[in-house]
Amino acid sequence: MRHGFRQSMAWLHTWSGLIVGWVLFAVFVTGTASYYRAEISRWMQPELRREATIGPDALARAAELGVAHLQQHAAGARTWFIALPQPDRPLIDLFWRTKPGTPPGRAVLDARTGEPAALRETRGGDFFYRFHFELHLPPLWGRWIVGICAMIMLVALVSGVVTHRRIFADFFTLRRDKAAQRGWLDAHNVTGVLALPFHLMITYTGVVTLALIYMPWGVTVAYKGDQQAFFAESGQITQPRPAAGRPGALVPVGPMVREALATIPEPLERLTISHPRDAHATVVAVFEEPHGLSHEHPQIAFDGTSGAVLEVRRGGLQPAAKTFTTMVGLHEAHFAGPGLRLLFFLCGLMGSAMVATGLVLWTVARLPKEGRAPGLGWRLVHALNVGTVAGLPAAVAMMLLANRLLPAGLAGRAEWEVWAFFGTWLAVTLVALVPAPRRAWSGAMAFAAILFLAVAVADGLTTRALWDDPAWFLAFDAAMLALAAACALVARKVTRYVAPARGRRSPAEGRPMPAAQARTALQPVPAGREEAGRRFERA
Amino acid sequence: MTPLVLALNLGLSFLGLTALCVSLPRHHGAVSAAVLALRRVVLLRLAGWTLIALSLLAAAALDGWNFGPVQWLGSLIGAGLMLIVALSYDPGAIRWLVLASVLGLVAAPAALLLDPSWRTESPEAGEEVPAPRHGGR
Repeated sequence: MRHGFRQSMAWLHTWSGLIVGWVLFAVFVTGTASYYRAEISRWMQPELRREATIGPDALARAAELGVAHLQQHAAGARTWFIALPQPDRPLIDLFWRTKPGTPPGRAVLDARTGEPAALRETRGGDFFYRFHFELHLPPLWGRWIVGICAMIMLVALVSGVVTHRRIFADFFTLRRDKAAQRGWLDAHNVTGVLALPFHLMITYTGVVTLALIYMPWGVTVAYKGDQQAFFAESGQITQPRPAAGRPGALVPVGPMVREALATIPEPLERLTISHPRDAHATVVAVFEEPHGLSHEHPQIAFDGTSGAVLEVRRGGLQPAAKTFTTMVGLHEAHFAGPGLRLLFFLCGLMGSAMVATGLVLWTVARLPKEGRAPGLGWRLVHALNVGTVAGLPAAVAMMLLANRLLPAGLAGRAEWEVWAFFGTWLAVTLVALVPAPRRAWSGAMAFAAILFLAVAVADGLTTRALWDDPAWFLAFDAAMLALAAACALVARKVTRYVAPARGRRSPAEGRPMPAAQARTALQPVPAGREEAGRRFERA
Repeated sequence: MTPLVLALNLGLSFLGLTALCVSLPRHHGAVSAAVLALRRVVLLRLAGWTLIALSLLAAAALDGWNFGPVQWLGSLIGAGLMLIVALSYDPGAIRWLVLASVLGLVAAPAALLLDPSWRTESPEAGEEVPAPRHGGR
């Protein structure tokens, strides 16, 4: 029986956190990695040569090369996307949609020649970015699952704050000399409370980013379900033009690119061409967002058959739309320079740690009594915990390792990398069921450590000749070594952990722990915290 | 958003949080063997909240009210993490970190005065070029 508000919130916190914890951990880790998405992409394509600047002429030429390729290979598509070369990525990334239900097409061209670029095939940092909100599922399914988990995460955050009796008194407290459960609870509290502003912001803005998927009814009623019309009227995109149904010829896009560059001073990011063979073909030039919190891309729409400017959209959003774009901007943190980006990254790591410690705490608080075999539920949670908390980092490392070790010309190479990721994740989860819990944890973390170490070594051995900027690649590899060290440290701690003996509680600690606090530990503890720690050790 | 402003924020946040932390009976012993008198508690808390408020004001003054609060919260979290890790693993290090923060706070305004470029609103060159975003979200 649960009496009282706080106890019911503790119950809610425990179970809402547990059921979505594994997905949340994956979402947090891949989202945190996405702060360095461009860097990960660059590392995963070491053949890429950067350029100092790309002038308007080169951009205009690249756009025409892209259109020429699409005319030849994607004539029937309804929309073409041409990402233009940037100094950091001097390539033409093509993407096209034919009709709903058929997979989109992609191609990557060399910006100078228009030939397919000679790069190893990989999803790069985009894999983690898309996994962060689509889980590598069909996009709508993935977004629904992540969205529901994020909403439950908000529930867990608020109920966790209510449950935590001593937010201010325990704000700085991380006791490592106490029983296992106490230490885990402290770690959970510290990572949760300290970065609480970040956790609330990132979860809330994450839900808001995809809110139209979760709450489409307003748009359904007011715009008859036409989301594009809603986006256009709220000022986020240029007015869409439906196809005329008559054939039309696209005029060269080079002059449009030059005109766009002369109109808006931001870097030009991509062209979107809808109905390319229709009389109403529309070319939209999309710019990078200007420096600011708000995520708004300036855009210019051209008539594709005449080249005339249809619309220039730059700023001037209404307050509601501005609020929305600012929330998206805060979530993505494109505005952050290196220092602030590192802080966002640290906050993301703390979020991952909060979820991970919460999951571990569930099992530590429910260790089976001595001499009894753990029940099916406990073993399931334990295996999923090891499989996620240790397995996901191992999977990330394996994907990076596959990027270096798979032969460059392998057919379907990008898919093989993805298989390496999921295969490792699944394998760690299954293998975690076999050994005793403690060995499973230390073994899995040691495995992840070895993989991260292997990533750095493999990069140095196989790719050194390709590095265009050795210091940059060495810095990335150093980050991999730091991750390896972190995993190894956890593995070592788990192996060497000795629970404090009963009654060795230092008198300097002051008053004994009130009974209420044991309840804050989310559940009644069966037989004393110290003993729980020792049981975990034996288990 | 120069690294200098970030360092200023981190220093102020760290000092403020440390003052609040050692005003708690449980953590006071980490830096001082003296008895924690009420007077000292009040002084420490006052200093702590003042420093944290100063950090917000500094961030807002140097980076504007758009970025300032984001930067302030970010450095507050970063400084808090640093403090808790030090407190838990090596409380002796806190004295050194406090010393480093004070030195940094003395050095930062001097550097700011010497380098007026922080006034410019433009983003730093070579800041970050996001990977192409195909098809929007």
